[in-house]
Amino acid sequence: MLNRFISDLFQTQKPRTRGELWYFKLFELFVGIYVIKYAWEWANYIPRNSDVVLPLGMANYIDISFMFGETMPVINAVLITVLCIFSFFRIQFRWQYFLVLILLHFQFVARYSQGEIPHSMNMIGMSLFALALATFFFKKPWQVSRFTFGSVYFFVGLSYFSAAVSKLIGTGLFWFDGRHLWLWIAEKSTDILSRTGTFELNFLQELALQSIPIASAILLFGWLTEFAGAFVWSKKYRPYAITAIIGMHIGITLTMNIRFDAYVIELLIIGYPWDQLFDRYQSSFPKFRKLSILTSS
Amino acid sequence: METLFQQKASRYLLSVMLVYALLMATHKGEFWPLSIYPMFSQAGQPWTRALVRDVTNTPDSLKWQPTDFDELNGAPVALQDYGVDQIDFANFVSKTEDWNEKRRKALQKMFGREQIGNRELMVMKVHGRLVGRDSVVTKADPLMLVTSDTVYSLSGDTTKSKY
Repeated sequence: MLNRFISDLFQTQKPRTRGELWYFKLFELFVGIYVIKYAWEWANYIPRNSDVVLPLGMANYIDISFMFGETMPVINAVLITVLCIFSFFRIQFRWQYFLVLILLHFQFVARYSQGEIPHSMNMIGMSLFALALATFFFKKPWQVSRFTFGSVYFFVGLSYFSAAVSKLIGTGLFWFDGRHLWLWIAEKSTDILSRTGTFELNFLQELALQSIPIASAILLFGWLTEFAGAFVWSKKYRPYAITAIIGMHIGITLTMNIRFDAYVIELLIIGYPWDQLFDRYQSSFPKFRKLSILTSS
Repeated sequence: METLFQQKASRYLLSVMLVYALLMATHKGEFWPLSIYPMFSQAGQPWTRALVRDVTNTPDSLKWQPTDFDELNGAPVALQDYGVDQIDFANFVSKTEDWNEKRRKALQKMFGREQIGNRELMVMKVHGRLVGRDSVVTKADPLMLVTSDTVYSLSGDTTKSKY
């Protein structure tokens, strides 16, 4: 059973194809773009911070006040950008992606030092971690690809399953009581009013607020979907589990106004066998084969 | 080749799991980018958020009055117009217990003196809780008045602005 689990995660039974490597480079490109995007967005925001309200990560051990101000976040963002681009083209030393992860971690703990513990950037962070592990431990492109995807599947499954268990421990069996959703809708409507100056309930929110059973059904669907996150570890059920998770994220956006753009895009990328599509159509684009620099280490 | 890869991958994954467990156990379930994702785990709990109203043209007698959420004094202020992240702002306001000089300056810096101009911005704590079987009550309490010069807090009588 353990062998099956590992084989499903790291796709060890699958024949190696060029499409797999193209698929992996597309994934790596996506992660790199988001890493650079976050690095610069946080660099622009950090100068507003001047005191640590809640230390996260390394900020528990190191005084991160050196990150505040205009200069350091920009230098850090430049370094992250350059290292990311070099890493993409495999102009890199073994632990280069780890260095990017550490630099981005410092950018994160400086940006989110004001009390908020966000999770919407964790998926990209975990993917960067997976790339760092894969390029550190392996050299062959197919091994890097399979270890990266395997680690990402593992973290994604673990994340949703642990979120479901946290709810069971934190509240108990009646976590899905619809009135809890009412309270969250009120909380998030305050956030939207605070951000934009106006707020209006949408159709789904009005529906949930009119009926406890409907609100409960929405929460129950979300909770069961999180439990089903463990099915991401199974090759057979992965596309179905990911489809349900994407549906859950759309539901969260509609009911609580929380957007998970990076999550949804990444789930769309990792959830389905796009490599087979690449393999099927690559004969139509022979020039693709010549661009081997991108798919070799 | 595949078998060797599978063995190596299993070993490395096990090591990563150990690191994950260690970091989660010693850092309250959060060490970016790793997390146990405890958001929304404690359902039904009262919450506190924050928002800002422009009370420049509001009578002094009303500025510091606590109100229901749908009867807020002053004009709405969109934090996005000031480039402030509202979640960040809400956490900064709700988690700060000692409003010392440093924290007040940090609050003012979030908005930016030039952007505040001649306006008087009232920072409010908003509290929500479930009441009875089927209602949510939301109330707003004025906390800090931010101007381009100073950050004032309320002291004593809530019907007058003493600062």
